[in-house]
Amino acid sequence: MGKGKKGWALLLAVVMLTTTLLSACGSPDKKEDKGSGSKSGTVEVSKEGFPIVPEQINLTLMAPDVGVQNWNDMAVLKKMEELTNIKFTYNNAPKDSFDTKKNLVFSSGEYPDVFLAAGLTAAEQMNYGEQGILIPLEGLIDEYAPNMKKILEENPSIRKSITAPDGHIYALPVVDFNQPWYRNPMWYNGKFLKKLGIDKLPETTEELYTYLKRVKEEDPNGNGKKDEIPLSSVNLRDIRTWLLGAFGVYEEEVYVDDNQKVHYTPMEDGYKEYLSYLSRLWNEDLLDHESFSQTSEQKKAKAQNNQVALFSDWHAYMTMGGEPGMEDPMFVPVKSDFVDKPVIARNRGITIGAFAISNTNKYPEASIRWVDYLYSYDGALLFSKGPEGMLWKYTDEATKKKEYLPVENIETVRSTLTPNFGIAIPSVTTDELLKGLKTDFDLWVDKESKEKLLDKGSRIPFPILFLTSEEQAEVNVLSSDLNTYVRQMEAKFVTGAEPISNWDKYVATVKKMGGDRMQEIYQAAYDRWNSN
Amino acid sequence: MVTAMKESRSDKLFLVFIYLFLAAALVVVLYPLIYILSASISTPKFVSSGEMWLLPKGLTLDGYKLVMQNPKIWIGYGNTIFYTVLGTSINLLVTLPAAYALSRSDFIGRQFIMAMFLVTMFFSGGLVPSYLLVKELGMINSIWALILPVSASVWNIIVARTFFQSTIPKELQEAAHMDGCTNMRLFFQIVLPLSAPIIAVMALFYGVSHWNSYFSSLIYLNDEMKYPLQMVLRQILVLQEMTAETTGASISGDIAAAMNNKAEIAALVKYAVIIVSTLPIIVVYPFLQRYFVQGVMIGSVKG
Repeated sequence: MGKGKKGWALLLAVVMLTTTLLSACGSPDKKEDKGSGSKSGTVEVSKEGFPIVPEQINLTLMAPDVGVQNWNDMAVLKKMEELTNIKFTYNNAPKDSFDTKKNLVFSSGEYPDVFLAAGLTAAEQMNYGEQGILIPLEGLIDEYAPNMKKILEENPSIRKSITAPDGHIYALPVVDFNQPWYRNPMWYNGKFLKKLGIDKLPETTEELYTYLKRVKEEDPNGNGKKDEIPLSSVNLRDIRTWLLGAFGVYEEEVYVDDNQKVHYTPMEDGYKEYLSYLSRLWNEDLLDHESFSQTSEQKKAKAQNNQVALFSDWHAYMTMGGEPGMEDPMFVPVKSDFVDKPVIARNRGITIGAFAISNTNKYPEASIRWVDYLYSYDGALLFSKGPEGMLWKYTDEATKKKEYLPVENIETVRSTLTPNFGIAIPSVTTDELLKGLKTDFDLWVDKESKEKLLDKGSRIPFPILFLTSEEQAEVNVLSSDLNTYVRQMEAKFVTGAEPISNWDKYVATVKKMGGDRMQEIYQAAYDRWNSN
Repeated sequence: MVTAMKESRSDKLFLVFIYLFLAAALVVVLYPLIYILSASISTPKFVSSGEMWLLPKGLTLDGYKLVMQNPKIWIGYGNTIFYTVLGTSINLLVTLPAAYALSRSDFIGRQFIMAMFLVTMFFSGGLVPSYLLVKELGMINSIWALILPVSASVWNIIVARTFFQSTIPKELQEAAHMDGCTNMRLFFQIVLPLSAPIIAVMALFYGVSHWNSYFSSLIYLNDEMKYPLQMVLRQILVLQEMTAETTGASISGDIAAAMNNKAEIAALVKYAVIIVSTLPIIVVYPFLQRYFVQGVMIGSVKG
């Protein structure tokens, strides 16, 4: 017994000693951290022209990596280093697990100097901005970022959308007003259209139904079997917005109507009509019965087997296989009897959270000048297509007309030149950027978008805006439960597991779960945004 | 009776069912292996459409070609082998002495230490504190972050301890002590040579876990030149799923084209990479399998 007691006492002493030692080790480090945070660099930052700093400075950068090329070997980043005299150490994380790593880094107390393409959400910007981890950028923009400043002056709505409720700008966006699509468009299989002799694409839900029915019954792929799948989808996410438009609903969650009134889609009458329509397609086997279970890979395989008549993807050829071609036309938004004309959602044109500076950055002025170059024509071009002479060259520099060099696989080569491949790098896309580089196919797609979407009055369904911290917290809680329930019920209504006659019961449940409150919160936020 | 006993009808029936059952088990185990092997040399289109379900269709070696050309996979291979060898050596260096010490009934405080060990099996600080600890120890972006935090597995220590307790007789130790043998010498010259099976089992358990591990490298490493093979593999596999996300509102034409391009390559390479990365383990496993079984047995006899 006595021996045992002694042993315990000894161990306890050791444990206590270790704890004291460890805690002693911890504290001085923290003090040091805080000290370096407020310290600003002594180096002189030139307000225009290059290099940005006379002597090379070193900064750390964190970005998602798609794993094609080591960032140290990318021609674009080498060029930037030469140009600016700013050398970055890249602390990248693989794109698929970037969010995990980002959260760890934010909670670790040791931050990279710059976050690039980090996809900082509004909530993150507010949270880390309030804690002082991300520094306010608006002052720096005024003094050191003429290109960004110009964009913000010309587009007050962008400034509204990136300014946090406390009045600060914590992160810069990607700006792209040339991209009109809210979701990937839907495309018709051109071969089926031809075979069935369709010269005018469906413009109403009934016409669409008739066409899909014909596909099902008239064997347009000519293999003697009724194996056609008129409409194929992955979880409805890819086709939802397009079909909702036929019933006067702009977006799948929250949208604002022409009278500045905010709607929460899952409780709308238009949404009910959409459900009945899809349910009808499902019952007659016009909507792929694997829509709730298949992967996009499987959908593609069906399309490449020439079975699918209507589907969604960025470009039709990405699903149909083969080379970019103009035979598969874009879906024309259809309208139902419920509305006079279809509503069409348009891309918001900005992606927030693409660039931020942390409080450990000793050279915020130099950092913002670095990123500001990306908002100029030259910088955006450099990041988008690489330096001149590798993928493209000017045919007429004065008019900014360029052409591609004879390179075998442009996308593969591009992925090794620039980080702007698969991630949202800060940039501004203008018409000049791609002047001369657009292929006939690109021009055709532009024309389709213009005629079928833009000219028909597509608009942004709901602006990007900040909720206050309290609103954000409430929305997070509400929406996680609501989304699960709504998506579940959508599948049930469509597949017939739940008859549409139970709609009222469903709406009552959604309201009980906070559907009304969602609408209120977003209405308040929208009114604030609008009045600013 | 010289000849074997004649089997009764019910015995025969029983045997038939055994064979049927084993055949089913064989199919269940073998099918995924064959499927992946066939998929790795088939055209991706046939694989995703489900037309390729057993034998290769649209024979192509492009997947393997791309793997062979990808320097990252070879760097990852080198790293994984290095981490596995170094990590396993350190594991053994830590586990065996700890297990032996804990197996000795004359070791003071052994109950307490064992209890403390056991606590760590059920409770851990969680991801963020672990990350902070590793960071404070200065191991971020260092190979030690993959090796030191996992240098001892309590479960393996228990297995090894049980082995020492049940196979090394106490009398042997007493006899050695009588002859003036020190504890060190006892461990190295008497106990270890008698423990070949447990050393093999421990090396295998640890080795396989190092080979398959990716999460710590995901969290702690920043430099892709240090990524182990599983990280490279994971990146390739996940790229394909990302295309499903391109339906998001916030992408540009560049991103969509990039994703499409990556997805096509990923579809081609995916299965080839799985084969290449698991091949060493698959090849080695049959030879070491008996140790595995033994190891599991040791653990199960006495806990």
